[in-house]
Amino acid sequence: MSSAMWIAVIICALGTLLMRVVPFLWMQRRLGSTTGMNAMPQWLVILGPMMIAAVLGVSMVPVNPSAISWLATAIGLSVTLLVWRRLRSLGWPVAAGVAVFGAVEVAAALI
Amino acid sequence: MSQPVDHTMHTQHSPLRSALQGVREAIPLLGGYIPVSLSFGLVATQAGFTTWEAAIISALIYAGASQFLFVGMIAAGAPLWLVVAMTLLINVRHVVYGPNLAALLPRSRHWPWLMHGLTDQVFALALTRLPQLPEVKRFSWFVGASLLAWAVWIIGTAVGATGGEAVTARWPLLGEIMPFALPALFLTMVAPRFTDKRWAAAMLCTILAALGLNLAGWSNVAIPLAAACGALCFYTVTFQPRRSRP
Repeated sequence: MSSAMWIAVIICALGTLLMRVVPFLWMQRRLGSTTGMNAMPQWLVILGPMMIAAVLGVSMVPVNPSAISWLATAIGLSVTLLVWRRLRSLGWPVAAGVAVFGAVEVAAALI
Repeated sequence: MSQPVDHTMHTQHSPLRSALQGVREAIPLLGGYIPVSLSFGLVATQAGFTTWEAAIISALIYAGASQFLFVGMIAAGAPLWLVVAMTLLINVRHVVYGPNLAALLPRSRHWPWLMHGLTDQVFALALTRLPQLPEVKRFSWFVGASLLAWAVWIIGTAVGATGGEAVTARWPLLGEIMPFALPALFLTMVAPRFTDKRWAAAMLCTILAALGLNLAGWSNVAIPLAAACGALCFYTVTFQPRRSRP
């Protein structure tokens, strides 16, 4: 890589880091100060879970979209939800969902 | 969130144990990180970058979509100022993540470098798990979870750059099955909100908007736009309480 390209990488890295760290530190100082906020603004409390839901929506699209992969996604997510309703944990529902999704994909590939 | 809160007393709190708990709980994230980092390593070498350069880009920028855009635009011969501008533009969504975690994490002089690990997935996991952990465990938990994700991202890039083609040729379904860990994980994170009608409507609106935007090819702006749609839905849609019959 040329030195100009290295500089571009460093600017991108620093810019991304600042976008991650500055709002965090700013909010921590505001929450901790006597003249600042005592609690998080409501819009921010709502936006956080919405961001997670948006990441879910984006990640639901299969790597190679096809009727089979969409079917596997629907079945895998249903199994994940059923196991989560029973156990209310993070690990096992994910493992069960991936196993069923993989089983449907493998079965479809073998047929 | 309705997951059980960890109320165990920590009179002898072990930072190492908390960090290992973070590592363990971040393992499902790797289902998404490994195939994508392998792909990035492969794409970067095909675009003319060496293995070391690809790994350094992953270590320093550490933001999936923007890294693909970075190497893609450079390979296409785009001017560097435009490459930088577009890379930073895609990463603007990160500004919302930090403030959401500010009240959940203790103050520390290490945050300026530790916040480098705040990706979409680490944010989602931290926002779900941190409220359930005792305050004394949260810092170490975040260190463990974020460092594992970062290390795997870099190693995955290096492996993808050196042998990505061989790996994907040998296990072609690997790259299709493993990424499913991400939607499965995020589903378990949003599911507790579906007990409330107002939250459920807003969440459903967000999920469908993100899905639609991604399918329409707007994947780079899908997350912030869909989240904004969901927040709008939350404020505009209200449900009347059910009237009891006379």
